[in-house]
Amino acid sequence: MPKHINVALIGNPNTGKTSVFNALTGLNQKVGNYPGITVEKKEGLCKLPRGVKAHIIDLPGTYSLNASSLDENVVIELLLNKNDKDYPDVAVVVSDVENLKRNLLLYTQIKDLQIPTILVINMSDRMAYKGIHLDIPYLEEQLQTKIALISTRKGKGIDQLKTLIANFKELPTTPCLNASEIDPEYFTRLKKAFPNQLVYKLWLVITQDVNFGKIDRNEVDALQSFKTKSKADLKRLQQKETIKRYQFINDTLKKGQTIDLKSAKDLRIKLDRILTHKVWGYLIFFAILLVLFQAIYDWTEVPMDFIDSTFASLSEWTKNVLPEGAFTNLLAEGIIPGLGGIVIFIPQIAFLFLIISILEESGYMSRVVFLMDRIMRRFGLSGKSVVPLISGTACAIPAIMATRNIESWKERLITILVTPFTTCSARLPVYLIIISLVIPQGRVLGLSYQALTLMLLYLIGFGTAIFSAWILNKVLKIKSKSFFVVEMPNYKLPLVKNVALTVLEKTKSFVFGAGKIILAISIVLWFLASYGPSDDFNNAEEIVTTSYASENISSEELQQKIASHKLEHSFIGITGRAIEPAIRPLGYDWKIGIAIVSSFAAREVFVGTLATIYSVGSDEEETIKNRMAGEVNPILGGPLFNFASGISLLLFYAFAMQCMSTLAIVKRETNSWKWPMLQLVIMSAFAYIVALIAYQLLI
Amino acid sequence: MNSIVQNSLVFLALVFAVWFLLRKFGVFPKLGKPNTKTCGNKDCGCN
Repeated sequence: MPKHINVALIGNPNTGKTSVFNALTGLNQKVGNYPGITVEKKEGLCKLPRGVKAHIIDLPGTYSLNASSLDENVVIELLLNKNDKDYPDVAVVVSDVENLKRNLLLYTQIKDLQIPTILVINMSDRMAYKGIHLDIPYLEEQLQTKIALISTRKGKGIDQLKTLIANFKELPTTPCLNASEIDPEYFTRLKKAFPNQLVYKLWLVITQDVNFGKIDRNEVDALQSFKTKSKADLKRLQQKETIKRYQFINDTLKKGQTIDLKSAKDLRIKLDRILTHKVWGYLIFFAILLVLFQAIYDWTEVPMDFIDSTFASLSEWTKNVLPEGAFTNLLAEGIIPGLGGIVIFIPQIAFLFLIISILEESGYMSRVVFLMDRIMRRFGLSGKSVVPLISGTACAIPAIMATRNIESWKERLITILVTPFTTCSARLPVYLIIISLVIPQGRVLGLSYQALTLMLLYLIGFGTAIFSAWILNKVLKIKSKSFFVVEMPNYKLPLVKNVALTVLEKTKSFVFGAGKIILAISIVLWFLASYGPSDDFNNAEEIVTTSYASENISSEELQQKIASHKLEHSFIGITGRAIEPAIRPLGYDWKIGIAIVSSFAAREVFVGTLATIYSVGSDEEETIKNRMAGEVNPILGGPLFNFASGISLLLFYAFAMQCMSTLAIVKRETNSWKWPMLQLVIMSAFAYIVALIAYQLLI
Repeated sequence: MNSIVQNSLVFLALVFAVWFLLRKFGVFPKLGKPNTKTCGNKDCGCN
């Protein structure tokens, strides 16, 4: 028995492969109750009985081995290439007890590749509820395998599965279907031409439009010359193969599975009728969004204020306790306020992901995907674009990667290009702080203006994404078509553990991921704001004292004037004032300009940057919000963050492509700099124009 | 003495911050194993 084995987890989308992966490996990969979560293979280790270690590979969901999209190619490339280091010793096909018939198609195909295969029937906890009974010994005999009946929700059957994996050598590799039956004459010739090869594997290589980069090229070239049938004939044979497989599956399930509809207590149909209704469906979704955004404001205000004041006190305490000097100032005026600018948003981010995670886990998100498909089609996109657009509310990067399951290149490209318009979590800190400064606190019909503004910004982002898609659909002359089949999972009570893990992971990623960048930028900004190249900076005290000698101002005011003079003549002040003419028409001063430039690294940096700039030279214990509220417009007087400049900033961040990581991922997914550069220029120009119009109209 | 220590610490922090940012945004190649603890995609550019 080898001590290390490769185990591939394969299955239809949304059968719970990732939950099985997490149960086996103890890792916490994202799971969701809607299809298309896994678009790349993921890996982990699992300890099996008798000291065997299994290298578990979670592969993207696929309905069959007839690939039509990039994520499905990943599965086929691995299964057809014995030289791949990840080539499985054993395949674990994960199926869902309620969709066994459809799931078994993929199982029979993998079995015919003569890879030792275990069938996992997941979600067994729903059998009684659905009136399903399975004759496991009979199914094992017919399908020539071992079956693990498991429930990842209840944690049942995982040990049995581990034992089966450890004993994989005992599994028969006899195929379910005699491939020659598809076309006896053709397959006989194929066998004669390649006597040492498995016929079904050859058949898959012939019929797939897959990039077989990893497979022995000589073998593929020889097959290319064997393509004696037209594409249409090959398609016809593929259909014949599918029919034969379903005949076998139907015969097997006729005896192996019984469903007693009388004992099934199904609310699903009733719920679906309402939640996917062409009027009620949208109204309910809209109502859920309203509640979500209202709750973000109502339930997170107290912890947000607490964190804000704690960081202000910490900053003050640092200055009082540590010896005076440059490093103390860096801590008190640079690092602590900068980090405060991100930590303050933890309650909102956690709450947002809590609600999204509950909606995903419950199965509601699949209904939203179905609802949105109706809208999407009118704008030239299929419902498959909805999953990336909705995941874009967390982060555009995994969302853009999720476009890999879109078959049509045109639809995929359009989705990649418009996804950054959806409101990602990095925009949330900017929105929340600006809204709290410029939108009044009143209410209408129990909903606060601030919550409505936030919701409007999300809708503007989504609306702009689909409107841009419509334009791109008209402009791009690429011919390809796609189809959309959405899996409607069952409604489930969300598992506390899954929800908690998602919230924890997302919040951690937000704080530590962005936190590192913010920490580094805060240090650089503090340095640039605390030092300057000219005599104006070095002799600030003397210059200011002389110029105000005749005026009767307090020493406190004088200190503020000196700090302000220093800041203006620091490295950052000089840079800021150089870019100020470009942003002045939008209602921003040079400090906001610096924050916009630095937030190109990540949008969240905006608040941290302002917190750092406003802290430099200040001795007062102030919260970020109060510092921003106290800023005065140097030309017009009055608050710098007023209604006009605030709306202008909100719209700028709604449309601007302020994320270097997203640009990098777009380059990788499109394999060209052309698309990310176009995205950057068009989105930035559009954001600038909209922000300019908004400010000029509202001022 | 205190001033020298404080200035040295600032200098070190600044060098580290600049190095981190340059490495993060692709100017220097990353060393060591890829980070697999973020969104789960091993070569995802997020955070």
